[in-house]
Amino acid sequence: MLGKGVVGGGGGTKAPKPSFVSYVRPEEIHTNEKEVTEKEVTLHLLPGEQLLCEASTVLKYVQEDSCQHGVYGRLVCTDFKIAFLGDDESALDNDETQFKNKVIGENDITLHCVDQIYGVFDEKKKTLFGQLKKYPEKLIIHCKDLRVFHFCLRYTKEEEVKRIVSGIIHHTQAPKLLKRLFLFSYATATQNNTAADPKNHTVMFDTLKDWCWELERTKGNMKYKAVSVNEGYKVCERLPAYFVVPTPLAEEDVQRFQGHGIPIWCWSCHNGSALLKMSALPKEQDDGILQIQKSFLDGIYKTIHRPPYEIVKTEDLSGNFLSLQEIQTAYSKFKQLFLIDNSTEFWDTDIKWFSLLESSSWLDIIRRCLKKAIEITECMEAQNMNILLLEENASDLCCLISSLVQVMMDPHCRTRIGFQSLVQKEWVMGGHCFLDRCNHLRQSDKEEVPVFQLFLDCVWQLVHQHPPAFEFTETYLTVLSDSLYIPIFSTFFFNSPHQKDTNVHQRQLSLPLTQSKSSPKRGFFREETDHLIKNLLGKRISKLINSSDELQDNFREFYDSWHSKPTDYHGLLLPHIEGPEIRVWAQRYLRWIPEAQILGGGTVATMSKLLEMMEEVQSLQEKIDERHHSQEDPQAEPPCLLRNSARLSSLFPFALLQRHSSKPILPTSGWKALGDEEDLAKREDEFVDLGDV
Amino acid sequence: MWWGGRGQSFNIAPQKEEPEMGSVQGSRMPELRSRHLSGCLASRCLPGEQILAWATGVRKGLEPELSGTLICTNFRVIFQPCGWQRSQETPLSSEYDFALVNIGRLEAVSGLSRVQLLRPGSLLKFIPEEILIHGRDFRLLRVGFEAGGLEPQAFQVTMAIVQARAQSSQAQQYAGITLSKAGQGSGSRKPPIPLLETSEDWETERKKQGARGWRVSTVNERFDVATSLPRYFWVPNRILDSEVRRAFGHFHQGRGPRLSWHHPGGSDLLRCGGFCTASDPNKEDIRAVEAMLQAGHSDVVLVDTMDELPSLADVQLAHLRLRALCLPDSSVAEDKWLSALEGTRWLDYVRSCLRKASDVSVLVTSRVRSVVLQERSDRDLNGLLSSLVQLLSAPEARTLFGFQSLVQREWVASGHPFLTRLGGTETSEEAPVFLLFLDCIWQLLQQYPAEFEFSEFFLLALHDSVRVPDTLTFLRDTPWERGKQSGQFNSYTQVYTPGYSQPPAGNSMNLQLSVWDWDLRYSNEQILQFHNPGYDPEHCPDSWLPRQQPSFMVPGPPSSMWLFSRGALTPLNQLCPWRDSSFLLAVSSRWLPRPAISSESLADQEWGLPSHWGACPLPPGLLLPGYLGPQIRLWRRCYLRGRPEVQMGLSAPTISGLQEELFHLQELLRKWTPRISPEDHSKKRNPNTILS
Repeated sequence: MLGKGVVGGGGGTKAPKPSFVSYVRPEEIHTNEKEVTEKEVTLHLLPGEQLLCEASTVLKYVQEDSCQHGVYGRLVCTDFKIAFLGDDESALDNDETQFKNKVIGENDITLHCVDQIYGVFDEKKKTLFGQLKKYPEKLIIHCKDLRVFHFCLRYTKEEEVKRIVSGIIHHTQAPKLLKRLFLFSYATATQNNTAADPKNHTVMFDTLKDWCWELERTKGNMKYKAVSVNEGYKVCERLPAYFVVPTPLAEEDVQRFQGHGIPIWCWSCHNGSALLKMSALPKEQDDGILQIQKSFLDGIYKTIHRPPYEIVKTEDLSGNFLSLQEIQTAYSKFKQLFLIDNSTEFWDTDIKWFSLLESSSWLDIIRRCLKKAIEITECMEAQNMNILLLEENASDLCCLISSLVQVMMDPHCRTRIGFQSLVQKEWVMGGHCFLDRCNHLRQSDKEEVPVFQLFLDCVWQLVHQHPPAFEFTETYLTVLSDSLYIPIFSTFFFNSPHQKDTNVHQRQLSLPLTQSKSSPKRGFFREETDHLIKNLLGKRISKLINSSDELQDNFREFYDSWHSKPTDYHGLLLPHIEGPEIRVWAQRYLRWIPEAQILGGGTVATMSKLLEMMEEVQSLQEKIDERHHSQEDPQAEPPCLLRNSARLSSLFPFALLQRHSSKPILPTSGWKALGDEEDLAKREDEFVDLGDV
Repeated sequence: MWWGGRGQSFNIAPQKEEPEMGSVQGSRMPELRSRHLSGCLASRCLPGEQILAWATGVRKGLEPELSGTLICTNFRVIFQPCGWQRSQETPLSSEYDFALVNIGRLEAVSGLSRVQLLRPGSLLKFIPEEILIHGRDFRLLRVGFEAGGLEPQAFQVTMAIVQARAQSSQAQQYAGITLSKAGQGSGSRKPPIPLLETSEDWETERKKQGARGWRVSTVNERFDVATSLPRYFWVPNRILDSEVRRAFGHFHQGRGPRLSWHHPGGSDLLRCGGFCTASDPNKEDIRAVEAMLQAGHSDVVLVDTMDELPSLADVQLAHLRLRALCLPDSSVAEDKWLSALEGTRWLDYVRSCLRKASDVSVLVTSRVRSVVLQERSDRDLNGLLSSLVQLLSAPEARTLFGFQSLVQREWVASGHPFLTRLGGTETSEEAPVFLLFLDCIWQLLQQYPAEFEFSEFFLLALHDSVRVPDTLTFLRDTPWERGKQSGQFNSYTQVYTPGYSQPPAGNSMNLQLSVWDWDLRYSNEQILQFHNPGYDPEHCPDSWLPRQQPSFMVPGPPSSMWLFSRGALTPLNQLCPWRDSSFLLAVSSRWLPRPAISSESLADQEWGLPSHWGACPLPPGLLLPGYLGPQIRLWRRCYLRGRPEVQMGLSAPTISGLQEELFHLQELLRKWTPRISPEDHSKKRNPNTILS
């Protein structure tokens, strides 16, 4: 019913093409306004979510290529998200809904996911912030998950433009109070119905029992003890209520410098050596205090240098290893490679892809992190040393390196539950300042450093190089990285466990993927997709570390020797760090770029084949079992996950909607040169004839 | 399994001799022991092969180090590990066999600092402690020699290699050597892939493609139209052989327009050489040329093949740079690797080939028309482009059989100068266009892991075969030379063939062998790995039903003519450059600027207008490759073979593992219930039946 037409003079940033095509002419909109608003798509609000402002007749560009097609609809801003509601939502079919994210729709942007907002004024792109004097004709939103949205406001009423633009800018850019996070409205509105499945349980490390369990699991309980000295955050607000220290350490020592300067246990290796971390003592000018600090540290070192403790090697991570500043700069350069405003821009940079990639040095930073983790692994595994990680607050690179070491050394951390427990232990309880590092409150851009993102990228390298060693797939990591910006999960929205405990009274959610399946709103994807997220082959990880390597005395030898032997996926796992081996996490970074789509190809093609074969194996096994028991009715076909969804694209499951068919009409310019209308009509006829024969 | 998740190269380590496997190895008798060197050195020589020198040494650079013997023959260099016995079936496929022509660089090392690069004819200045053999196929062999009185041997074997290399590069004297299996070689042996040396082969293929408006022309049966053309090719039905002969004379090297492939939807893909701008054809000739280009369609697109693709010199330079970069001692720092890789431009060229092939397949598929690939020589990039287009558009071409036939037709029979391009002659025209082609296919394989019946290992085997001098497939420049050597003109002794001489007596039979006789070089176990376990039989050829083809022969001149260049179609006034003096095409189209909207792919232009393809415009079976920077990858298993540390853990054979489990379970079930097996659809992809 909606007419298709050509609207002249769209405003692109560089205006490479003077035309775009839309489903609806603006005139039509104005005459049919009532009708349109009556049939409009309803906005889905989460419990506690409130609509703040909205604007109608907004044109959202479809970034298929440089020709600018668009869809008309409503742009709304709530206290949780910015959403675009297209007028034409009929396109959704089964496949598409099956793999839809349950919380965030295709056109939803959570407020925390907004990275930069640009306005286009007379073809010029400007960053938008603060109070605006003039309102743009086009709004470009760059998201932290690297999506880019273009909204044309040319056909929107002026007061609506003012309201929506200033609303969006205010709610995404202005500094916020912690109490105003959507998390709290959501938590108040929903009942506390997290019935944790005891079998599928992520260890939260918020009780003494959890720590004892971890000590027991790693056999660290001989030399280390869980302490409750910080219960109620009496000692300091930086540390969790419970943590683990060497057994002989006195509780007074912990209190002495508010938890600074004491070795805190992270993990124990099967050979008894342990990974410890320590936050530096406060820097002092006074010689007297320095003297006191020195003697305190001497005492501490004496304790952990004495048998039964292994030799301690100190790794100072705040020294010359890697600075937060470097990570920030590299990532902001790196992400620009993927935040593409229009395809022309993309093709311009595409020629120099490798050198641009290299100059961002993001991959090199990943390499350095992996290398550091291998060095530490070598010390622990081969030289039987204890490693003491030292950092100013022990909450950034300490978290990164210690969790990387554990992923490499402890196969338990390569299961989904184990990995989630690890994140909970090292990052959440380790006091990583998610709130500041993600800049959720927009209080300081300087503090925004993607340390956790860097960690996920390092883990991705391992997953990519050794897929059978992990229970989860890269899709899991991608979804996890997205959940950093979804403020219904409390996990990544606090700077410390203390901050969380003082702000949240009821025990709230943990990581998104641990949701019980009973509540449809909670889980991230529908259950069917869990197959994809959970690497089925990883199920077979059950064995523990079995063999220890011979003693090697340097890194290179350790590294080469490990790589020259067959990989034991249930044991120690080292990444390759040579030049060609560190790769771009294509799924996360390229998923929104339609040009990067390979229809019917990509790893998902292998994955669907794999699933199909596993189903077959399963059904054969069932048949065999049947023969052992009795002659029963043949089993119904197992549900086919992917078979019915025709050709999936390489961007699956993130960009199922980006099909070639979504392109309504060809831009005229391409064909204008080719001949007059009559000619075209003739050829069209010829074509139809052939098709019909 | 041999790969076990590590796979340092395609080659399977030779089986260790184990007494309990005696039943299999009963036939393995070292009957051809020409010289008795030592107990462990039981190498069988090939006919005509002589051992020149040998020395004991240790294979280095890879854990564990292997001790064995380094042998130099007049044909190859072999490292034979102690106590390992190679399988009799595979004389030249071991990890440690280097055909002399394959040796790209030879270095002798003494101590930590003395390194001498040994060129053919150079003299060794010291007794080597270690010798490094770099293969042109990116392999590397490092052998250390043991001290203690054996130095003279080390010296001798090194010098022998140097001399043998010098001799081998002077003449193609090993072309006569065939590696046919002992006791095999009956004349009635049917080649596994039609070699397209007979008109029957061409007729069969024509029928298979359903090219009804075409016929097999015998005009070049005596190679008097062009020696670089096959003896038979396809021309439009209506064109007489005399017209063909005259028309072809107006093309560079006599390579006029011929059908490459007939699309089931009705389009035709043609290839031809450049127009001879110097010739002055008469009216009839021009009409014949036009009719051949038009091929009965009303819509004709001339594709300037060379446009936007690398020149031969570019390809050669990029390949040399790539090889230098991938050398194990490459001095590129890890954090500079990416820009160094970019600097080779190899991936850039791969990308432009894919991009162009993608565009051309859209042209062929989107509407019924004649698409003519035109390259001046018609012997290099035309073959590459035409094969890629077929791989993208035709599921048959993605099967093992289809792909091998494709290479045989578009490369071997069409006269790609393999010998020259792979550096077999002393000319400067070396350019590994074929290897560039293999890289393009590898990219497709990466992007579409379920669409190809063959595996990466098959591509590697093909990659490694181009320098193995056992069959004539890749050792001649033209079909004429190939035919001359194999003596297939015996029945045409009266035929005039320039420079024709009697074939060497006695070996004509063996020369019928082609590279597709994989069992010459690879064991059955290896051949099984040519099969891609992830190949999805749901996309197999018989499910791809082409639309009915109308009778498309349209009389009269074409209603629209286009030149496809710089990613866009430009209207042409005429197909041939001669009628007016405007020299439309001869001036080349290089001055045509690429349209600013370069991002708008041809697929959008072509399919955007009438959406005849329905909701999903891509016709089934058509693959559109990704050619963005991040999507084009380095073929590590091929190019980084010299760097074992990078090769480790390359493959995680999860699909193969599952498949094994599947076979095992099916076997189990079949034993118990014999009636289930017939419907078992996995039987279809049993790898044992593929190559038979």
